Amino acid sequence: MSELLQDPFVQSSVLPLLVGLILVGALHLLRRSLAAAGIAAGFLVVFAMVIGLPALPPPSSMGKLFWASAAGLLIGVVADVAGIRGRVASAVLAVWLAASLLWIALPALDSAAAIVSLVVLLGTAACVAFARGSQTHGDESPTAPAASLLALALAVGGTALIGSSASIAQMALALAASAGGFLLWNWPVERHGWGLSGRVATGIAVLLAAVLALFTQTQAAVLLLALPALFAGHVRRFLPQGDGPVGRAVSSAAVTVVAVLPALVAIGAAFALSGGEASPY
Amino acid sequence: MKKTLFAAALFVATATGAVAPAFAAPVSYKIDPAHTAVAFIVNHVGFSNVIGRFNTVGGDISFDKDAVEKSTVTVTIDTTSVDTNHAKRDDHLRSPDFFNAKEFPKMTFKSTKIEKTGDKTGKLHGDLTMLGVTKPVVLDVTFNKDGVSPASKLETAGFSARGTVKRTEFGMKYGAPAIGDDIQLLIEIEAVKS
Repeated sequence: MSELLQDPFVQSSVLPLLVGLILVGALHLLRRSLAAAGIAAGFLVVFAMVIGLPALPPPSSMGKLFWASAAGLLIGVVADVAGIRGRVASAVLAVWLAASLLWIALPALDSAAAIVSLVVLLGTAACVAFARGSQTHGDESPTAPAASLLALALAVGGTALIGSSASIAQMALALAASAGGFLLWNWPVERHGWGLSGRVATGIAVLLAAVLALFTQTQAAVLLLALPALFAGHVRRFLPQGDGPVGRAVSSAAVTVVAVLPALVAIGAAFALSGGEASPY
Repeated sequence: MKKTLFAAALFVATATGAVAPAFAAPVSYKIDPAHTAVAFIVNHVGFSNVIGRFNTVGGDISFDKDAVEKSTVTVTIDTTSVDTNHAKRDDHLRSPDFFNAKEFPKMTFKSTKIEKTGDKTGKLHGDLTMLGVTKPVVLDVTFNKDGVSPASKLETAGFSARGTVKRTEFGMKYGAPAIGDDIQLLIEIEAVKS
């Protein structure tokens, strides 16, 4: 069993998928409005199991990533419990994400390229914080933003895998798998909302991209090609949507596919720029 | 009269160092990067051992040949200079998975104690700082020789050191134990008198 848990494939896919399914399910039973928090919680659990619990204060960017994510999860949960929504929730998310990015990026800001990377990351953070999810039946549908998260995390994971950091790849893919667990809970029937807890999980994908861009030799600029995934929800209105369960299920699946496409483009670009050779390790 | 003159001459000679003192003082040396190698061996998933080195190493040695216990060693290694003869692997080693060279560009060793175990051998105790973590390590060190190098015409001292460290103790956990936790160190140093 321990050998199985040490397998990188299991650590990056099966384990976080199961953890995500279990945590979302547990929150579904305890407090349905917090179910989306299971994604970030699943990520943190897998991080602690695979990489280890970082020290406080964290000596490295990966440690800061963990504790910033934990802080974000706490903020998201408190905000959702308090019923904070709309622009106030967006502002809270933006402040958390910007502060986390600055905390992580500070040691790496020794060149113009690094500063430009940080500016781009802050712009992405603003998109994540203030982008509006798709609206169906007057409720906040979780499928589109969860699919966007899955796509962004896949893009970061695939790019890191091709580049120079297996641990960032594993954690990004774990975040994608955890999001996959949440999507499975909401397909074919959407059972949960997204809330600030869910949006925090998308913010974690941005933090992973920051560590990849600022602390490795990876061609992280290709991740910009994955950004259209954030707007997958807007495509939904152009998709045929039946009122029945089959129509809604097909629509949700289609949104997920549309979200993942830009991620695959980003991964393909990373592979092409690497000369077609993945990092051996 | 002759005795007085002799005593005075002896006093002056001793005061000016013309007569050798009872104990030699420590001599300061600067590590010669061109003749220094800090190499490591790490097991790769049980198939073979990967050999790597750091190409940028510097430091100072204060060596007292007659009182080795009073000697000190300080070494600084540039982690970005890691070299295993494979560009992508080296990029990976510089990443947060291993040396995290962007955040921790230097690795340092500072001696704390030297135990003489033989005529030219000893145990060098010191603090190794890597990834922001400081742990004590012990190296088996051999003093090879000192003298004027026929190549550089400079006063040179040469040493060899061997040891093993556990990388996970410094927080470098990725891939362990499949990628070896025990890292063998092979160190060859020439230092030039400052």
